[in-house]
Amino acid sequence: MNCKVSWGLGLVLVLLVFTAAGCFHGDEEGAPGQTAATDQEGQGGRILEEVKSRGTLNCGVNEAVPGFGFVTEAGDFEGFDIDYCRVVAAAVLGDATKVEFKPLTAEQRFTALQAGEIDVLIRNTTWTASRDGGEGATHLTTTFYDGGGMMVRADSPYQSIDDMGGTTICVLSGTTNEQVLASVFGARGIEHEPLTFEEIDPLREAFVAERCDGWTSDLSQLAGIRSQWPVNQGGPEALRILDEPLSKEPLGPAVRDGDTKWADAVNWAILATIQAEEFEITSENVDQMADSDDPEIRRFLGSPVEEEEGAAPAPFDPGLGLPIDFALQIVKQVGNYGEIYERHLGPESPLELERGFNALWTDGGLHYSPPYR
Amino acid sequence: MSATAAPLRRRTPFWRNVRVLRVVLQAVFLLAVVLFLLALFENLTTNLRAQGIRTDFGYLQQPAGFAIADADFRPSQSIWDAIKVGAVNTIKVSLLGILLATVLGVVVGVARLSTNWLVRRSAAIYVETLRNIPVLVIILFWWLAVLLQLPPIRRAVDLDVIVISNRGLVGPGLEQTEALAGFLLVAAVGLVAAAAAAVWRTRVFDRTGQPHHRVLWGSSVLLLFLVAGFFVFDRPFTISLPERGELATTGGFRLSPEYAALLIGLALYTASHIAEIVRGSILAVPRGQTEAANAVGLSGFQRLRFVVLPQAFRISVPPIANQYLNLVKNSSLGVAIAFPEVTRITRIAIGQQAPAPQSVLVLMGVYLFFSLVIALVMNLINRRLTLKGR
Repeated sequence: MNCKVSWGLGLVLVLLVFTAAGCFHGDEEGAPGQTAATDQEGQGGRILEEVKSRGTLNCGVNEAVPGFGFVTEAGDFEGFDIDYCRVVAAAVLGDATKVEFKPLTAEQRFTALQAGEIDVLIRNTTWTASRDGGEGATHLTTTFYDGGGMMVRADSPYQSIDDMGGTTICVLSGTTNEQVLASVFGARGIEHEPLTFEEIDPLREAFVAERCDGWTSDLSQLAGIRSQWPVNQGGPEALRILDEPLSKEPLGPAVRDGDTKWADAVNWAILATIQAEEFEITSENVDQMADSDDPEIRRFLGSPVEEEEGAAPAPFDPGLGLPIDFALQIVKQVGNYGEIYERHLGPESPLELERGFNALWTDGGLHYSPPYR
Repeated sequence: MSATAAPLRRRTPFWRNVRVLRVVLQAVFLLAVVLFLLALFENLTTNLRAQGIRTDFGYLQQPAGFAIADADFRPSQSIWDAIKVGAVNTIKVSLLGILLATVLGVVVGVARLSTNWLVRRSAAIYVETLRNIPVLVIILFWWLAVLLQLPPIRRAVDLDVIVISNRGLVGPGLEQTEALAGFLLVAAVGLVAAAAAAVWRTRVFDRTGQPHHRVLWGSSVLLLFLVAGFFVFDRPFTISLPERGELATTGGFRLSPEYAALLIGLALYTASHIAEIVRGSILAVPRGQTEAANAVGLSGFQRLRFVVLPQAFRISVPPIANQYLNLVKNSSLGVAIAFPEVTRITRIAIGQQAPAPQSVLVLMGVYLFFSLVIALVMNLINRRLTLKGR
């Protein structure tokens, strides 16, 4: 009886252990299998399907940079990047208003993207090698070619960063500006003391109180901040942005690594705005353009086109998983690249930024869309 | 009477044997927990791998790529070095904060029981206000409303020995020279000699009953050694006075406004809690002790110093240890005001491509280490003070 009990108990325990090992082994086998499946699924458009079934696009944005991602007093999001969220929503869902904006700090943005909290990150994010690599993000077409800059008080004697030895510089953490500050100042042997903040509000307080002598960020951001500088602190004239850019900062949307179908879909939504400007399609003339004689434009906007001699005219579907007329919806609901730029960043806006590098390639700029065929 | 039957050796079958069941159930539960944790871990590593993010701790050797204010740190040094700098900053603010909070807390706690109405009221107001404001708000208040509002560096207050501006408070500092090592050796020997002198005086007191004055003797011996070492090693350190420059004050010892705001905020908040603990523990000393002290003829201060406080101290050690641990953890609020303590450094690293799960794990390990050290020290103190037989 004694032996029977102990043996029985021992047998039960051994059985349990084997079951557990079997379960875990199954997990392990399942895991690489799952990874392969995930990769295949990843290339099969899991995020695209999720967004379509959810009906809204989760877009990671900035809420503190005028011109790019900003919350007005009424509580609405507006800016260049905000409009690009709407572009993606118009392309994927057919409705530019179906966006859920999630404001993120520079430190949080990639973790939120990795964790799947947002589908796409359009938050003045610089395209760098390490972000494509170890950060788990895939950068898409650059929407804004920018540079790193330095802003100082207008009454300070600095004309270039070589004058700024011994100064205290304020910068936001989690940005390329932080790394650029360390490497550029280090390479030129300029002594400085960095003050890194997580949020822009304490940084602004420190800058106003003259705790730091310089504020480094992207030139477009500095332009936006300067344009909104309150009058009781001297208004925009109280600040000066140094001329020389410290670095290249190509800003653009980013999506998570591992889902090429989603990346392709979002990428072509962005490229459509640039191609639309090249074709001179605007939100006003898009309906007439859909009936144009030019087969390139007809194909682009999803109108039936005669691809081969004698074949029936059919609309062109490149197989991106987007609706046939996604380009038409984008331009109709949001606009082409030029319209989006003018609305938020152009000479009419408070930022007054010239197109410069952000013009089309036909005008000497860098925006060049691959052909839509 | 019938013959007594031989006792039957019957065992309860295992499926209703309480002892067996207990063991089996515990084993099953443990197994379930372990499996659950393993499943979570597998899920995490699978998802990280699918996105090409590394799942090991190798990122710690990568160059940091960012600079740290007020520290001897180059951006080309590794992330692990950056975390060490952050940990040192956390220790600096925590140790000093603990010291200040204890001193202030004990003073205010005793003041709350004072017979003087004004003192009692003021202490009560201090405690009630500061206990009920979140620490972060206190820290932000000190940084934004007080320290940042000091004159900017161009209009700094220059008192020759001290320079005050919103870039920090710079006072006279010690510059070390080559002879410092020798001097420190002499100082160490001096400490040992001072301890020996104190022990000798205590023995004299035990033997003869004469007042030992051991503190006086010990500190005189130490002072003697320090002065001798200072002259023998030919000025092992010099005093550097701050010189106000255009943008910064060179020389001297600098207290940055972020460090000061964090320190003051933490000290004030924790002191208010310690004050309540001290008050509670004084009230917990049996009334008979106070009455006996009065009967013997001790003055108010003597009663406090020799009778009440020693007993109150014993009671207050565990809750005060708790407050110390809270202070160390609250130091992570330096994140809000750009003070580079270890949480801030970790968050900066995560923002610069360090993988988040491993970074946070390392951060948790750092805080766990600090907390365990403090808990160990306080437990030792507690054990020494426990009444025999409890």
